[in-house]
Amino acid sequence: MPNVTVAGTDVVVQAKGGEAILAALYRHGYAYKIGCRRGGCGVCKVDLVEGEVSYPITVADTVLSADDRAAGTCLSCRAVPETDVVIALTPDDQLRCVAPLLSRLLSTHKS
Amino acid sequence: MGVMRLGYVHTRVTDLTESLHHYHNTLGMQVMAEEPGKAYLKAWDEYDHHSVVLEEGGVGLVKLGYKVERAEDIDQIEIRAQRFGTITERMSKGDNLAVSDGLRIVLPSEHVIELYHDVEQTGTATGTLNPEAWPRDLVGVGVPRVDHALITAEDPETLERFFTEVLDFRASERVVTEQGDDGQLIGSWMFCGNSPHDIAFIKGPNAKLHHFAYSLTDWNEILRAGDLFAMDDVSVDIGPTRHGITRGTTIYFFDPSGNRNEVFAGGYTTFRDFPTITWTADQLAKGIFYIGRELNERFTSVLT
Repeated sequence: MPNVTVAGTDVVVQAKGGEAILAALYRHGYAYKIGCRRGGCGVCKVDLVEGEVSYPITVADTVLSADDRAAGTCLSCRAVPETDVVIALTPDDQLRCVAPLLSRLLSTHKS
Repeated sequence: MGVMRLGYVHTRVTDLTESLHHYHNTLGMQVMAEEPGKAYLKAWDEYDHHSVVLEEGGVGLVKLGYKVERAEDIDQIEIRAQRFGTITERMSKGDNLAVSDGLRIVLPSEHVIELYHDVEQTGTATGTLNPEAWPRDLVGVGVPRVDHALITAEDPETLERFFTEVLDFRASERVVTEQGDDGQLIGSWMFCGNSPHDIAFIKGPNAKLHHFAYSLTDWNEILRAGDLFAMDDVSVDIGPTRHGITRGTTIYFFDPSGNRNEVFAGGYTTFRDFPTITWTADQLAKGIFYIGRELNERFTSVLT
């Protein structure tokens, strides 16, 4: 199961098979700027710093263009990690721990 | 005379099969016709052939259809729309499945609306002779009908003037930056029938959809819809809660492509002489989400 690391933080979470980046982070009690969670609005775009993702569910070109993909932008609600990935949130956003109970129980922190 | 109601919402979806699961199994609309990459659906208490068209490829709004009472209304609206300076185009019977000829208008906000005077009627699920109160084979939420749409516009002032002068809509509620002459319009809720709104718009990018809504009978139905959204893993934006504007009770949620839907119940009755309600921007959060009195970041940012 691939790890999702958030650049600039000590947060590493494990995604389940087929689970998108957004879902994995939220399941572990973390939050950041997101929208519809269904690939329609593009609010949850992040930078893919390392690793590979796939899009098993069709994403509209108007939401994530070929240029976006080439530039390393990924739509986190639909992007499923194929390898361990490192993502970076947009400069105006930051990762928040909204459910410490979950993150304590489930997260793998870097030591 | 004039425009009577919102007749159809034509929207894009990324995956038609997933969307049909949502609009049929969760919301309870019936599929009336299918073409490659396209589906036509209706809700049980609607008598027209369909009220929602789903088209595969992309997200967002293709167009809205509004039904006028008489064919002559189209002529009058065409003259007014051209005088207003909007782009109009005559459409033919058959351009839209089951829909008559009519007029297509590109709004000042770049959205497309179609006005038509006739549509094939297939009848409601309970019929018109000694009808039962509701059909007992409803699926999921069992939405009875489509109610309204909310779109975004860079210039709400001009769009409000268009709906007033060309289509004879009235504003039930308006949000302004401040009271008095210096106040800028940031949202308007407008009606042509007797509900609080048949169209609404808020300031934002042109040509975008904020949501389209289904009418439910009451607050209990809203809660029941919410339960079904939990069962079906529907992405919920907010609710159940109440709007200050329109007084309606609501859940905002997203279809599988990220288009926002709403289930809406309650609200008041309007007539042609309804006195317009004003909200000031400092009370916008209460106007939108009356109970929580906080705008979530999605309300203004998530559009398709």
